[in-house]
Amino acid sequence: MNNSPHFLPTTRREFLRFSGSGIGLLAFSNFAPSFLVQSTLAATPRPEKDRSILVLVQLAGGNDGLNTVIPFEDANYYRLRPTIGIAKDQALRLSDTLGLHPACTAMHELFKGGKLGVIQNVGYPNPNRSHFRSTEIWESGSDSNQILSSGWIGRFLDNTCSGTPVADNDPTAIHLSGEVPQTFLADQAHQTFGLNPNTIGRRENKQNMEFLERLVHQPSADHDEHGNNSFLKQTMMDALVTEKRVQKVLGGYQPASTYPGNPFAQSLKSVAALIAAGLSTRVYFVSLGGFDTHANQANLHQNLMKTLSDGLAAFQKDLEAHKLDDQVTTMTFSEFGRRPMENESKGTDHGTAAPLFVMGSKIKGGLHGTAPDLNLARNQDLTYTTDFRQVYATMLDRWFSCPTDQILGKSYQPLGFI
Amino acid sequence: METPASAKTTSASNAAVAPASTQPAPPTLSPADAWTQLPASAFDAAAARHLLRRVTWSAQPDEVARAVADGLPTTLARLFPAEPVALAKPKLVERLEEDTPDFAKRLRDADPLQKRVLQKEARDRSQQAYQDMSIKWLQFSSAPAHAAQEKWTLFLSDIYVISFEKIKNAGHVFDHQAAIRRHAFGPAPALTKAISRTPAMIRYLDLQDSKRDAPNENFARELFELFVLGEGNYTEKDIKEAARAFTGYRQRLGEFSFVQRQHDPRPKTVFGKTAAFTGDDIIDLAYKQPAAGTWLPHELVRFYLTDDPLPPEYLPALGQWWSAQAFDLRALAHRFFGSQLFFSPSYRGNYIKSPVQFYLALTQDLQLDVAPLARQVLGSLRQMGQTLYNPPNVRGWVGGRQWINSATFGARRQLVQTLFNPINEANLNADEQVEIVAARADGKDRFVVDSEHLKAFAGLTAEQAASRFLDTFLPGTSAPAYRDEVTAFLKDGGSKQLTQRVRNAAIALLQSPEYQLC
Repeated sequence: MNNSPHFLPTTRREFLRFSGSGIGLLAFSNFAPSFLVQSTLAATPRPEKDRSILVLVQLAGGNDGLNTVIPFEDANYYRLRPTIGIAKDQALRLSDTLGLHPACTAMHELFKGGKLGVIQNVGYPNPNRSHFRSTEIWESGSDSNQILSSGWIGRFLDNTCSGTPVADNDPTAIHLSGEVPQTFLADQAHQTFGLNPNTIGRRENKQNMEFLERLVHQPSADHDEHGNNSFLKQTMMDALVTEKRVQKVLGGYQPASTYPGNPFAQSLKSVAALIAAGLSTRVYFVSLGGFDTHANQANLHQNLMKTLSDGLAAFQKDLEAHKLDDQVTTMTFSEFGRRPMENESKGTDHGTAAPLFVMGSKIKGGLHGTAPDLNLARNQDLTYTTDFRQVYATMLDRWFSCPTDQILGKSYQPLGFI
Repeated sequence: METPASAKTTSASNAAVAPASTQPAPPTLSPADAWTQLPASAFDAAAARHLLRRVTWSAQPDEVARAVADGLPTTLARLFPAEPVALAKPKLVERLEEDTPDFAKRLRDADPLQKRVLQKEARDRSQQAYQDMSIKWLQFSSAPAHAAQEKWTLFLSDIYVISFEKIKNAGHVFDHQAAIRRHAFGPAPALTKAISRTPAMIRYLDLQDSKRDAPNENFARELFELFVLGEGNYTEKDIKEAARAFTGYRQRLGEFSFVQRQHDPRPKTVFGKTAAFTGDDIIDLAYKQPAAGTWLPHELVRFYLTDDPLPPEYLPALGQWWSAQAFDLRALAHRFFGSQLFFSPSYRGNYIKSPVQFYLALTQDLQLDVAPLARQVLGSLRQMGQTLYNPPNVRGWVGGRQWINSATFGARRQLVQTLFNPINEANLNADEQVEIVAARADGKDRFVVDSEHLKAFAGLTAEQAASRFLDTFLPGTSAPAYRDEVTAFLKDGGSKQLTQRVRNAAIALLQSPEYQLC
C-alpha cells in the first residue's frame, strides 16, 4: 500500500488506470465503489436529462403571510396591525386588493411575467403552533394528529427511484441546509446528499475532504480489517466520490446572472450549477431561516423578503439563460404563518395559514386559491382555505406524473398552478 | 398454528456462521474459560478503553487512567452499582402529570367540539414534554458518572420496548423508563413484573383492552418472545393461556390498576403446569424455563459485543450460571463485562456505534455540553436513524450495519460539522433562545468547539496532537502509516495556523469510518 493513490477515482477510466498500474485500491476492502460496479462513465449525463426537477425553499421560523401578500383594501388588516401594517401605496400590485411586500421587487417582475404563482391561505386542519411539530407535519405530509417517520419527498423517492440502479452515482435528492430535512426521510435507503451552505467552496472544506480521502486509503489498524470497517469505508468512499463530483461541478460553474453574496442565494447558485451539470437528481432543498419575528418585525422581515426575492429571481434568470427553466419548478413553504393581530412588541406570534409561492416557466402564474377572511376578533387566527397537501398533490401528479395517493395517504384536489 | 418448540432453533443458540474473510477469527477460548474473569495483569489501558467504549459512550483519558488504577472488579462495581442514580422528572412532564386528573374531568364535561380542542392541547403539551425529557435524558447520560447506567437502561428499554408514537403520553414514557432504571441492577423477574404494570406497556401492548371474555394476546406473546425466552421456546397455546392471566391489568390516569371483574381467575395451563395463575405467576413460570437463562445474555451480546452470533457453546454456560444467581442483572453485568470473552481481540474496535452513542461520544470527546435545542439535537438523531423512545417496532432497533447508509452517514458527518461551527443564533426561534439563555446561566454553554478549545493544542507538537486524537477518538491501535498520515497533516495540512490544522484534522477523524466504531 506504499504507493496507494491519495485520491479516489471519480471515473471508471481513472479507476482502471490505477488498477492497471498495480495499485490495489481495493486491497483493504471487500467492496468496490458502487459506481464502478455499473459500467458507466461517471461524467456521462443520463439520457433522461429532461426530467422534471423540484426545488423546495424552506422559510424556517414561520413566515408572516399577511405582510408577504398584503390585503391593502381590507380595513381589518390595518385594524389588526396598527404599527406593522404595510401601506397601500407601498405594496407592489398583484391585483386590485392584494400587493407584495415592497422588498419583493424582483419577484414582482416574475409575477408580471407569469412565472410566479401565489397560492393563498395554505394550511391544514387543527393547526399546530409548535415550530418543531408543525415543520414535521409539513415535511412529512401528515395530518395534525398523525406522526409519520418518513417525509413526503422520501416516499416519492420510494415510489419512483427504488430498484433502479444509480448508474451514475447521482444522489436522488440533495439538500443545502445544516441538517437533513425530514422531508427526505424514506422507508428505503436512497442516496441523498447534503452540502452545508456555510462551508460550500471553503478551502478548509476541500482540505477536510482531501484528508478524509487519504485516511480512507490507509488501513487503520495493524490487524486484518473487520467487515464492519470495510463496509464503513465503502459507504464513505461512495460519499466522497459524490462529493468530489459535486465540488468539481460547483467550482467550474459560470452563472449567467448575478447572485447576491448571502448563503441563501449562493445555495441557489449551487443548485443551478448541479442542474446545469445534468445530474439526475430530482429534488433540491434549500433553507432560509430567521422568520420567527416575535419582536420588531418590520426591519427583519424586510431583509428576509429582499433576500428571498433577489435570490429566487437570480436563480430563475440563471436557469433561463442556461435553457434549463423548462425542467425546474421552485416552491416555498413555511411551517406556519403568523397571527393576524400584531403583538405588544411590534412583532407577531405563531399563527396558522399563509401564502406560498411557486416559480417556474412551466407553471401558471397569478393568484391561486382564496384570500383569508380577516373579520377576526382579538388574537384570533386565520382559517386555511387550501390544504398544503393539495399543493403537494399537484406537484406529484402534474409535475412528477406520479401517483399521489400512496405518497399522501389519500386523495387531494389538485390546484390549477400546473 | 402450533409449532412444537423442538422444531425451531432458538435464537439463543444460532449455528455459527462462517466468518467473512476480513473478520478476526472467533475467540479460541473454551466455553469453560470464556466467562472467567480477565486476569488483573491483562487489564491495561487498551482493555480499559475497550470496556469504557462498550459500556459507556467514549473513553476519556482521565476515566481510562482511573479504571486502570482501580482495577477491573472495582471499576465494574462503580460502573454497575447496587443502586442506580434516579433521573429527576423534567418539569414539563411533572406539570403534565399534575394536570392529568383535572384534565380528565374537563374532558368528561366537554361537548364534542371542546373535546377536540382539549385533546389537541394535551397532545401538544405531551409533545413538548417529550422533547424536554429527551434533552434532559441526553444531558443526564452525558455525565460520565451516569453513562454506564444509562446505556444499560437504554439496552433494557431496547428489550422492553414501548413507543411514544403509539402512546403519545410523555408522562407514561418517562415513568416506564424510570421503572426500568429502578430495577436495572436487581433481579430480572422483578423488572419484568414491574414492566407488566407500567401504563406505557399496558397501553403499548394492549393490556388495556384485554378483557375477561376476550383476552388480548399481544402482551403475553411479546413477554415470551422478546422479554424472557426468545422465539420458539413456547407454544401458541402457552400464549393463549397466559394471556388470560393478564386480563384485568389497566392503567388509570398514569397509575396501574387491577380490575378484578375483568380478570379471568379460572385455571390456566402454561408450560405444562395448571393452576389459577396470576400475571406474576406466569412471569415466574417463564423464568423457570431453560431458555430464560440464555435469552437476555443473547440480547446483551447483540447490544454490546457483536452483530455476529457467538459460537453456540458459549451462551448455555453463562445461562446456567445466571439462572443460579436468581437472574440478578447486576451480577450478569459484572460477569459479562469482566469476562475473558468480552475482552477477546475478536471484539475490539469493530462494533458500529448507535446514533445515540455517536452523539454522546462526540460531546464527551469534544468536552461539549448537550445543547438544549430539541429541534437540532433530536432532529440530528432522527436523521441518523434513532429517535429516542421511538424504535421502529416492538423488536427495537436492529442496529449494526442497519445504522449506516449514505443518508445516515451523511447525517453523522453533518453533525460533526455542526459541532465545529458557531450556532447561528439569528436562526433560532424564540423558545430556543430562552433555552440557550437558561443553559448559559447554568454554566452549561459549551455547545460547539471554538478557539478556546483549540488553544489547548497550541503547545503540542504535531506528533503529540496526533497521539491525543488517535488514542482518544479511535478504537484500537492505529497502524503506523495511519498515524503518519495524521501527523503529516497536522505538520503542514494546507493551513499556516496550527489551530486551523487541528480543527480540520479533528473534523476529518470524527467523520472517518473508524470513528463510527467502538
